[in-house]
Amino acid sequence: MIFLNAVLSQQHAPEKLPAAVRTALGKQLRRAATLTQLALVGALACLPKERRHLPTALLWQSTSGPRLETLTLLEEVCHGSAEPMPYDFLASQPAIAAAQIQPFLPGLQSATHFPLDSEGEANWSLLLTLASNWLNEGRYAQVLCAHLDSWANSANAHWLALSSTALENAQANLHIRTMNYSDALPDTPDFPAALAHWLKQPSGRPLHLQSSTTLRLAVEFAQI
Amino acid sequence: MTRPVYIAGSGLLCARGDSPAKVSQALWAGESTSRKRQLGEREFPYFSLPLSEADWLTRAELAVTRVAAQLGPLATETPLFLASSSFQIGHFEEQGAPFELPIATASFSRRIAEWMQLSGPRYSFSNACISGFSAIDAARSLIAAGQIDAAIVVGIELANRSTLAGFAAMELLSRTHCQPFDAKRDGLVLGEAVAAVHLSANPATWRITGLRTGLDAYSTTGPDPQGGPIAKVAVDCIKEAKINPADIELVKLQAAGSPGTDLAEANALRQIFGNTLPPLLSLKPYLGHTLGASGIAELATLLACLTLDQIPATAGFKKVDPEIALFPMVDRSNAHIQRALLNLIGFGGGLASMIIERRT
Repeated sequence: MIFLNAVLSQQHAPEKLPAAVRTALGKQLRRAATLTQLALVGALACLPKERRHLPTALLWQSTSGPRLETLTLLEEVCHGSAEPMPYDFLASQPAIAAAQIQPFLPGLQSATHFPLDSEGEANWSLLLTLASNWLNEGRYAQVLCAHLDSWANSANAHWLALSSTALENAQANLHIRTMNYSDALPDTPDFPAALAHWLKQPSGRPLHLQSSTTLRLAVEFAQI
Repeated sequence: MTRPVYIAGSGLLCARGDSPAKVSQALWAGESTSRKRQLGEREFPYFSLPLSEADWLTRAELAVTRVAAQLGPLATETPLFLASSSFQIGHFEEQGAPFELPIATASFSRRIAEWMQLSGPRYSFSNACISGFSAIDAARSLIAAGQIDAAIVVGIELANRSTLAGFAAMELLSRTHCQPFDAKRDGLVLGEAVAAVHLSANPATWRITGLRTGLDAYSTTGPDPQGGPIAKVAVDCIKEAKINPADIELVKLQAAGSPGTDLAEANALRQIFGNTLPPLLSLKPYLGHTLGASGIAELATLLACLTLDQIPATAGFKKVDPEIALFPMVDRSNAHIQRALLNLIGFGGGLASMIIERRT
C-alpha cells in the first residue's frame, strides 16, 4: 500500500525566495536557479530530517520551466557580443537542480523533470502512478512529486510526499486504478490544493484524479 | 502485475542516415565524418542531420515525420513519451527578439504529437543527456504494471546556438573530433538526432531487462572521477535484470571524449566488472553527442547493429590513456550478442543504465 505523508502548497515572491532558502538551510545556496531554490525549500519542508537519508526519488513537473533563465540565455546568444555566461546556461538546464539539492537531501537517488506542454494541465496522475509502481517494487523508500513554476512575479510549488510505509502523519493511502471515473478531479497543477481541501473534510468516499488524456488510468485516494 | 517489456520497433534520423538499418550499415563501413558549425570566431565539428531545409520548424517537422514513418502504422491513442534537452529553442533563436516563449515550456511536444498523428497522452522529459532513458523508464514502468500496453518514446535534439554556445562557454567541446577513452581526447562533439522506439508488452526480439537512473552530485558539470555513483547505477541495473556482470557481453559506453567523464566511466567499469571487462563500444564518434536524444538514438543504432551481428569499431580511438587504461573495440565484430549494457552519464549529474536482452 502507498501512503500520502505530506501535502504542501507554497507561494513565494521571487525576491523573497533566497531568504526562504536561508531559513531552510541556515545558509545561502549560491548560483542556484529559482526552480532549484523552490525545489529545495519544498523538499525539505516535506521530509523531516530523519527521513532525508532514505532512498528517495524526486519527480517534478513544471509549466514555466526555467523561463526567465532561458530568456536571459537567448538574449546573450542572439544579441550578446560574446558567448553566454556559463552560469546563465547552467541555470537554463533544469536537470542540474538535483545535483544542487542532493547535498541537503542525501537520500536523493534519482530526479526526473517533466516539462509540461499545456497551460493549466499537469501530469500528477503520471507522477503518482510512477511513484506507486516504484514504491511497490521497493526501488525507493519515498517519492516526492512536485509541480514547480517560476514566473516573473511569483514562484509557486505544490508537493505530495509518498512512501510505502505509513508515517504518524499519513493522511491517505492511494491506489492506481485502470478504469474511468466520471467524478474524477482533473489533472491540474494545483491538484494538491484540492486534495488538501478534501483531506480536511471527513469523507467516507474516495477521491479520484484522472487526466483527460489518460484513458482508463486513475489515482484513487482514501482517507486514513 | 509485472510483465516483460519489449522493443517492438525503432526509427532514427541522424548524421549517419535516415533509418536504423542505414545507420548501422554506415557504422559498419566506418563512416564517421562530421561537418562544422561556426560560433563567433570559433568553429566546432558538428554532426548535422542530412536535411537541407533552412527553416527550423519545417526541418523539425520533416525530421519527425520521417522517423514516424519508420515505425509503421500506430494506434493514434498510443501514449507518447518525449525526451529532449533543448526542445524548440532553435525556433526561438530564429524568430529573434522579442522572444515569444509559450506559457507551457514543452509546448513543442504538442506539435510533435500532431506531426506523428498521435492523439493520446503526451509526457515530456528533460533530464539533459539521460532524458531518453528517463522517458523509457517511465513508459516501461507503466507497461510492466499493465497500466498501458504500448508506448512510443521519442528523443529529439535539433541544431541550436544556445546549446552549442553554452557548451563552448564551459570549454567542453572538442575542436577536432570525438576520441572516446583516447589519450588525446579533448572534449565532446555535439550532434542532432530524432529517434524513436516502440515499446510493447507483446513479445519481440529485444527485451529491456533492467533500467535504473541515478544521480551524481559531485558537480553540476561532471561526475565523480572515481566513478562510484556511475558504478552503483549500473550494478543496480544488473541486479534488476537478475544477472551477473559476467553475463554482459557488450557495453555501449557514454564515452563522448570528455576528459573527466570518460575517466569516471572507466573507473566505474572496473568497479563493476573487475579485470574481466566485456567489449566496450562508443557510438558518439559516429553520431555525435545528441544530448536529450542520445539515449534513444544510440539504443536504436545499437539494436540495428546487434540484430545484424555487425558491431562497429569505436572510431576516433588511437592511443590508450594510461590513466584510463581501457580499450574500446578497435576492430569491428560479428559477435552474436545476447545481452548488452548501455550507459548514459548526463550533464548535471543524471545517470542511467539499461540492459537489453535478445529473446531466444
